[in-house]
Amino acid sequence: MRALTLVTCLLAIALPAQAEKGHVHGEGSLEVVIDKESLSLRLELPLDVAVGFERAARNDKEKAALAAAQQALADPALFAPTPAAGCKAEPARIEMPKFDGNKPVEHADIDATYQFRCATPAALKSVETTIFKSFKRLYRLEARRAGPTGQGAGRLTPKTPALTW
Amino acid sequence: MKAVLRLAALSAWSRRLTLGLTLIAIALAVTLLLAVERIRVDARQSFTQAVSGVDLVVGARTGGVQLMLHAVFHAGTASNNITWDSYRAIATHPAVDWALPLSLGDSHRGFAVLGTSADYFAHFRHGDKEELRFRDGKAFTGVFEAVLGSEVARGLGYRLGDAITLSHGLVERGAEHGDKPFRVTGILAPTGTPVDRTVHVSLESITALHLDWVGGAPLPGVTIPAEFVAKFDLRPKEITAALVGLKQRSDVFRMQRFINQYRGEALLAVMPGVALDELWQSVAMVERTLLAISALVVLVGLAGLAATLLAGLNERRRELAILRALGAGPGQIFVMLTAEGALVTAAGAALGLILLTLGSGLAAPWLLERFGIVLATRLPGSQELALIGAVITTGLLASLVPGWRAWRMSLADGLTPRN
Repeated sequence: MRALTLVTCLLAIALPAQAEKGHVHGEGSLEVVIDKESLSLRLELPLDVAVGFERAARNDKEKAALAAAQQALADPALFAPTPAAGCKAEPARIEMPKFDGNKPVEHADIDATYQFRCATPAALKSVETTIFKSFKRLYRLEARRAGPTGQGAGRLTPKTPALTW
Repeated sequence: MKAVLRLAALSAWSRRLTLGLTLIAIALAVTLLLAVERIRVDARQSFTQAVSGVDLVVGARTGGVQLMLHAVFHAGTASNNITWDSYRAIATHPAVDWALPLSLGDSHRGFAVLGTSADYFAHFRHGDKEELRFRDGKAFTGVFEAVLGSEVARGLGYRLGDAITLSHGLVERGAEHGDKPFRVTGILAPTGTPVDRTVHVSLESITALHLDWVGGAPLPGVTIPAEFVAKFDLRPKEITAALVGLKQRSDVFRMQRFINQYRGEALLAVMPGVALDELWQSVAMVERTLLAISALVVLVGLAGLAATLLAGLNERRRELAILRALGAGPGQIFVMLTAEGALVTAAGAALGLILLTLGSGLAAPWLLERFGIVLATRLPGSQELALIGAVITTGLLASLVPGWRAWRMSLADGLTPRN
């Protein structure tokens, strides 16, 4: 019985309601879906990770930082699926947070969506990212995946920047 | 060389008590090490196998783990139910292909009773997307009909057409639903998952069972005979959880958000594969610690072996000196001592493997019942063989020490009388 309690405690620590990942500075989330020949990635980054603030830009320097972040994220080459799968990237969709004037907000996230068309999706075994090189304030990406072989999760960090399955 | 090994064996036999104790220590340590590894591998295996093809598990907002444990492994308890209306809202969502309601809480002689819809047998998948197969009979069609998992039928010796009585709650001697017996209409083929230990009935049967119950006990003076229950509205008001399959996999994250933000009720949707991966990520530390501790225990055992052999050298000075005098070279003495240590380690590892097999056979039913872990009786896997190899290598290395000491002893050492 004690062992069961122990296991339950471990599990309880392990799984803090996985869906509702809050907004954590330094941590982004990545959703990976493989459906037939399409591979789609949905990236959510706290704005702080990209530019160092979470409010409307106050001066030209901050405006430039926002534009640079948007441009960096718009490059689908940030993510490299298994080369053998022969995936071709479609233009990325970046949604920058909208601010209502200078009204303070609690948190702001950038949403980015990347679409790939893969010639041999069965060969898809991993997605590697160079995002940590572009965004030094990003410490990790919590990735979740759903594909023909099942579901999975992984943690991407600057040292292990690939999700494999 | 053969003669040296034979001498080593005979000499070891003459010191069988000390060496035997050392051997037992090594065997126990190896058992512990292999058990940690086997439970780790089998737990992953059986959790992953237990559910396949389910996109989302939906339940009340508690914790992802409780939900998974309860809905899929029928272990632990659910804190809350979800309403039938919420379930219908999810089941009829355009993105949803199929949804299976699950209602847990009753039991039959220690086996969980699962109230669900007949669709369960068509949509539920386990292992590598394998369907449920009927060994005998067919799915339930009406109230008071039951489909048994293979283990339930085997363990309790039930056959098609038998009548069984369910108990309220999970206690073996809980209040009985004795007035409303169930007829067995089907028995499933073995799956190696919690399904084997489950009695499946329709949701309507669960409602019907509790028609004349209020607050967890039968209403005194009120009994509704089984033949009249059809007159009542048997639609369930609440269920424990639901398994959801989607038309398109790409909708899974969107659907998860929809359910988690559902306005009518606090719901939680868990992606089972993601939940398990996140679980392994977080217990990886604990696993590594357990493995490290058991590796240390093995090291302690092997250190004990080296110590025993070293201590034995003193008593065996005469024996070794006589061997030298009879023409054995220092190399042969070295081989003899080292071989003795290596043999004891190898025998310990073999005994440990036997103990593991016996022990896992004994623990398997308990692990399955408590945690839903299927502990398979099988030959050691590659990882286990690697561990055994590491143990024997370490044992060999540890035996080099007494071997080297014996080599260094001079010929005259045991022959010169000293105080």
